[in-house]
Amino acid sequence: MRVSLSLCLIALVPFIFSTNATADDHDLKAIKAEIESMKKLYESRIAELEAKVKSMETSAGEKSVAVKQSGNLPKKARAVKRFNPAVSVVLNGKATSFSSPESEFAGFSVSHEGERGREGLGLGESEISVAANVDNKFYGSLTAAIVREDGSDQIELEEAYLQTLPDLGLMDGFGIKAGRAFWTLGYMNEHHAHTDDFADRPLPYRAFLNKAYNDDGLEVSYVLPTDFYTEIGGGVFRGDDFPFGESDGEGIGAFSAFARFGSDIGDNQSWRLGGYALIGEAKGGRAGNEDTVTFIGDSDLYAVDFRYTYAPTGNAREREWIVQGESFWRSEDGTYEDTNAGTGAVAHDDTSVGWYAQTVYKFHPAWRAGFRYSELESPDILAGLNGSALDGRNHDPRSFSAMVDYTNSEFSRIRFQWNNNKLNNQTTDNQFMIQYIMSVGAHGAHKY
Amino acid sequence: MRINIKIGKAPVSGVIAALSLVLSAASFAADNINILACEPEWASLAEELGGSHVEVFSATHAKQNPHYIRARPSLISKARRADMIMCSGAGLEAGWLPILVQKGSSRIQPGKPGYFLAADFVPVLEIPTVLDRSLGDIHPEGNPHVHLNPHNILTIANEFTKRLIKVDGKNRASYTELNETFTLKWKAAIERWEQDLAHYQALTMVVYHKNFSYLIDWLGINLVGSLETKPGIPPTVSHLEELLGVIDSSNSSPIIVVTPYDATKGAKWLSAKLNKPYLTLPYTVGGDEQSKNLFDLFDRTLALIK
Repeated sequence: MRVSLSLCLIALVPFIFSTNATADDHDLKAIKAEIESMKKLYESRIAELEAKVKSMETSAGEKSVAVKQSGNLPKKARAVKRFNPAVSVVLNGKATSFSSPESEFAGFSVSHEGERGREGLGLGESEISVAANVDNKFYGSLTAAIVREDGSDQIELEEAYLQTLPDLGLMDGFGIKAGRAFWTLGYMNEHHAHTDDFADRPLPYRAFLNKAYNDDGLEVSYVLPTDFYTEIGGGVFRGDDFPFGESDGEGIGAFSAFARFGSDIGDNQSWRLGGYALIGEAKGGRAGNEDTVTFIGDSDLYAVDFRYTYAPTGNAREREWIVQGESFWRSEDGTYEDTNAGTGAVAHDDTSVGWYAQTVYKFHPAWRAGFRYSELESPDILAGLNGSALDGRNHDPRSFSAMVDYTNSEFSRIRFQWNNNKLNNQTTDNQFMIQYIMSVGAHGAHKY
Repeated sequence: MRINIKIGKAPVSGVIAALSLVLSAASFAADNINILACEPEWASLAEELGGSHVEVFSATHAKQNPHYIRARPSLISKARRADMIMCSGAGLEAGWLPILVQKGSSRIQPGKPGYFLAADFVPVLEIPTVLDRSLGDIHPEGNPHVHLNPHNILTIANEFTKRLIKVDGKNRASYTELNETFTLKWKAAIERWEQDLAHYQALTMVVYHKNFSYLIDWLGINLVGSLETKPGIPPTVSHLEELLGVIDSSNSSPIIVVTPYDATKGAKWLSAKLNKPYLTLPYTVGGDEQSKNLFDLFDRTLALIK
């Protein structure tokens, strides 16, 4: 309608001008006045019509909104957009400098992953992860890490597991996880290293678990139907991964049990406490110190962990304080042999202890600072192991770390860390690290 | 020292059986429907619609940013016992809800009537056409903050009532009545809120994060921009200066609004430059002292921006 009116006006123009050309002054004034009044008339009509059109448009808009709201159209359309499975890649790189040329743990035989890593520029673990519900009853997840080992890039299968979903029809709260996974043990073990608050793992994880325990096996867990969070569980494993090794596959190499409790304190504080046991046998021998030290025998690990989080403003996105600690007791009964020291197989039966405590404070939505102290107490050894890697020479390895990290978004983080490590009584190793962690792809899970 | 813990299979399973007997007896004693709501607005709606038949727990409070929650122990135990969950969906709880559902009861699994995501039932705004994280933490499903359009609440209340009836059929009459009462009251309230739409259509607004999009869309407010550089990325000085430039050139005097959980630094900066105080809108139930339920929330929000 608006269009046709404007067309009328345009059509009038040549007519007006043609009259204009042949008229005298008096006529001109009269015509001008007439045009002016016509213009006003049309303008007011146009405005009127525009208002009408607008009101019609808005009412039509309201109607269409109402239609949309009563239907259930968006659901299906959106489901297609969701990508299944969830694929993610974690990029992780470090620049490190060490003040000491070596970093042997006094009194402990440590395997490859527990060593301090390479100096200089280098990639950390680059992870590729694929996970999805397999169907209504199972969930599946695979994580592979590409790591630099002995001068070449190798693929390490960190996790490949299935997990039952509640639809399976087991008792509510009951779950089974099978395959290879970072099993439930302490706080850090089940977390991927890129979610850690520090660039390296604390001493007990390096010495007792070779960074993490991810054997092949099966774990069951049960969340009790209590208001207060309680979860119990246990697992059976092949016994191939550190602290075990070289399982012949006969019977069960290792088994575990755990119990966890947790709750909130008021609106802004939460905590969790857990107790764990991982009991097994290094049948074929657990190798350490670049395969120069071998342990054969029973190796039992007990742990307790504690974690507390506090959001002083209520909003953890802005400010958050986290306190976390774990203690480990490793009881070994078997023989140690250090080929470098030429000890032969020497009987060993004692318990060593390790623990760490750390705190991290988010003082700005993008910035966090943290401190960590970790310590190991080496076991008593028989005289036959004197002078070997197992000989702690009355020194307890300890490490102090301080870090600051910058988090741009949920997907990127850059970290600066300083370590003061006294792992043996000859050296102090001051380490400086800059680390980046970038996640590409699926949105990660916020485990507690 | 050697610690010997030998755990026999029989005693352990015996203890578990005994414990679960005692505990399940305790949990079945109360006949109420346990609802785990992800955000306070849904907890409030579930209470309105469930009345005395439901026991509602909100996973978050108004001062928390619901996107950055952890699957903390207390939430796992709530999910374990829940008969229903009521959440925003559209990726808002992507970091923690999947863990809760996986550890949760069989009644809150996707596809079950106890699994209720509000955004599944309303037209979702801002569905991105380009998925590129350089544009921020964009939800592929669109903007999940659906509750600030009261027309959405009406639809969601209806759909949730259907689910309540599926889950707890014996109280069908009661749920139907509660929903009818709520709908009548809510429709009357919408009429009241929409009396002065022309006034809101003349307003301009600056938000912190796009968590007011549904309010802005409903009232026809003109959005000038966000304090956040990109969704999920905190404001920077250069971005704020750019925003100030846009405001100056548009010759408008926008209201600056934040939620109780947004960082206020950027808002303070802009409010000093514009010589105009910023507003902390309640955003959800419990966001301020006055906003005790959904009716109060809208009354209060409209009164504040007017």
